[in-house]
Amino acid sequence: MSDLFTTVFLGALFFGAVTAAVPLLLAGLGEQMSEKAGVLNIGIEGMMIFGAYTGFLGAYLSESLWLGFATGMLGGIFVALIMVVLCVRYGLNQIVIGIGLTLGFEGLTALLHHFQFSRTYPRLPAAEPFPIPILADIPVLGPALFRHHLIVYLALVLVIVMSLLYRRTQLGLNLQAAGDKPAALDVAGVDVFRTRTIAVVFTGAMAGLGGAYLANIGAGLFVPFITNGAGFLGIVLAMLARGRPLWVLLGAMLFGICLGLTTALQVAGINIPTDVIQMIPFLAVMAMLVAFGRRSSLPAALGLPYERGAR
Amino acid sequence: MKKLIMTTVSALAVLGMSYSATLAADVEAIAILTPEEGTDYGWNQQGVDAARAAAEKAGVELIVAQGLGYGDVRPTLRELAEEGADLMIAHASGYNTSAPEIAEETGVAVAIVDTPEALKQGLIADYTLSGHEGAYLAGVLAAKTTRSKTVGVVVSGEPPSWNSQSAGFAQGVKATDPDIKVIYAVIGPAAYSDAAGGKRVTESVIAAGADVIFGQGNGSSFGMLQAVETTKAADGEKVMFIDVIGDKSSIDKGYLLSSVIWDIEPVYSAMIQDLKDDTFGTKSYAIGIKDDSVRLLKTPQVDEAVWEEVQAVREKMVSGELSIDPVFDAAEVRKLMSEVEE
Repeated sequence: MSDLFTTVFLGALFFGAVTAAVPLLLAGLGEQMSEKAGVLNIGIEGMMIFGAYTGFLGAYLSESLWLGFATGMLGGIFVALIMVVLCVRYGLNQIVIGIGLTLGFEGLTALLHHFQFSRTYPRLPAAEPFPIPILADIPVLGPALFRHHLIVYLALVLVIVMSLLYRRTQLGLNLQAAGDKPAALDVAGVDVFRTRTIAVVFTGAMAGLGGAYLANIGAGLFVPFITNGAGFLGIVLAMLARGRPLWVLLGAMLFGICLGLTTALQVAGINIPTDVIQMIPFLAVMAMLVAFGRRSSLPAALGLPYERGAR
Repeated sequence: MKKLIMTTVSALAVLGMSYSATLAADVEAIAILTPEEGTDYGWNQQGVDAARAAAEKAGVELIVAQGLGYGDVRPTLRELAEEGADLMIAHASGYNTSAPEIAEETGVAVAIVDTPEALKQGLIADYTLSGHEGAYLAGVLAAKTTRSKTVGVVVSGEPPSWNSQSAGFAQGVKATDPDIKVIYAVIGPAAYSDAAGGKRVTESVIAAGADVIFGQGNGSSFGMLQAVETTKAADGEKVMFIDVIGDKSSIDKGYLLSSVIWDIEPVYSAMIQDLKDDTFGTKSYAIGIKDDSVRLLKTPQVDEAVWEEVQAVREKMVSGELSIDPVFDAAEVRKLMSEVEE
């Protein structure tokens, strides 16, 4: 067994863990803003899968990963705008619309894939890594953590940006108020609809980017249902994180590492049922819920449509 | 009196034959339900293609309901029953609960997979297919191809059909060279469409030293193929891929070593015939190498001499000199792998 755990193998394992964590991180950060503003965005899975499709299409046609990320974000925003119109503007049930968007865009992308790619299954070339000088040469951890595509580091920077936004800016305060006491925000002269719209559109952009990353770098191709519930995991991470972007990062990394661990245990040949091994990432998230979730509180107006003047 | 009896018996016989003919004519349409599109060069495509061929052969209409996902298909089954399907082929192990329920509810016969104990005459048939003989040959081929003496098995789940092929592959490798390591990894509990997971796990298995990957997955197999195409083996050379069920040659970039090809048409044709004969749901169906319903794909990447050796093993199987028993249980499959610690 020990001869399996070479530097190359461990490096590949941790590299895979980071790759698996990034889409969850982006989806979780997006969902977090939406929930802060009082919109429970169940449709994030639909935003993610449409972002995966448009992101792959953009990258494939333009032969540029960056354009692919941009089209992925636009795809996510497109789905988010539907949510904005139906839930933020017209106040329809956020859960029902969210589920509808997810199912609808899963079906639509499967159909589009059927007509465009189902006979050719095009694959993208491997993404060019951006090695961080000196750090990338550290044994095991260097290749695993510091030889990723630039978008990975930008996602990490985004965690810091989001933390500052929530703590130090007026927009951060407005978002918080839109989720806790939207009427008070309205009285203060800030447009609640506009604030919630910004939050949902940001969620769409992040979910779309996460989907595009999953398709373009995680898999290198698009297949129907490729997100495999990653958007829903993003919702769990956002709820666990209690409004803290750093916790989303920690949760996403924990999940990614546990996924890597499941592969390591199998490759090492530990003879316990695979189903038990496969439960590890989910057990880890449940353990986090039990440990920290009890003290978590969700915004008071989460999931509730805002109606001006209503009591 | 005797004349009257003879006339009555003759009339009954004619009536009986007419009734049988009526039963035969009753199979007018069959339907197949697949979780993914029938264009995956694998499980779904082979199912749809086979159903189409069987329907054409029997002169019945085919209704295809594809890309249904892995959730609840009860509404679709009810709709197909209302549309007049006389047989509904539920082509996914995830449909094993809902399809028999709808069969009881509507009285329309269903065929399900991976549940041999669910047989019910006239109503429920099972086709737990096993390509283990073909997988054994794939194992022989892999053992004769590997440079690192390490091969990998990557699967998207552990349904019986996958298990028997994983086991067959490991047995073929070990029979050829007992010193070769077989690394086994499952992507997820039901990660059939998890292409990113397929790529991630395959890259890890390659990093552990494998230079031949035996991959079983639906959509996820494209992730495995992508990993093989973009990752070098430990010696800096190519990693080769062995697929199952379908033929990905047309989209291959030179990394497809072979595939364990299934032809399910004889199974579906037998089901239609059994439905006509009123023996549906009384027996199990099988595919195998003897009638070429399971066969190994030859690609340009296969060395000619090695192919001859593999064919020699196949001949032994066909003649009965070599017999491979299918292993369906996941725990038994893991025991056949090299790197398993008790």
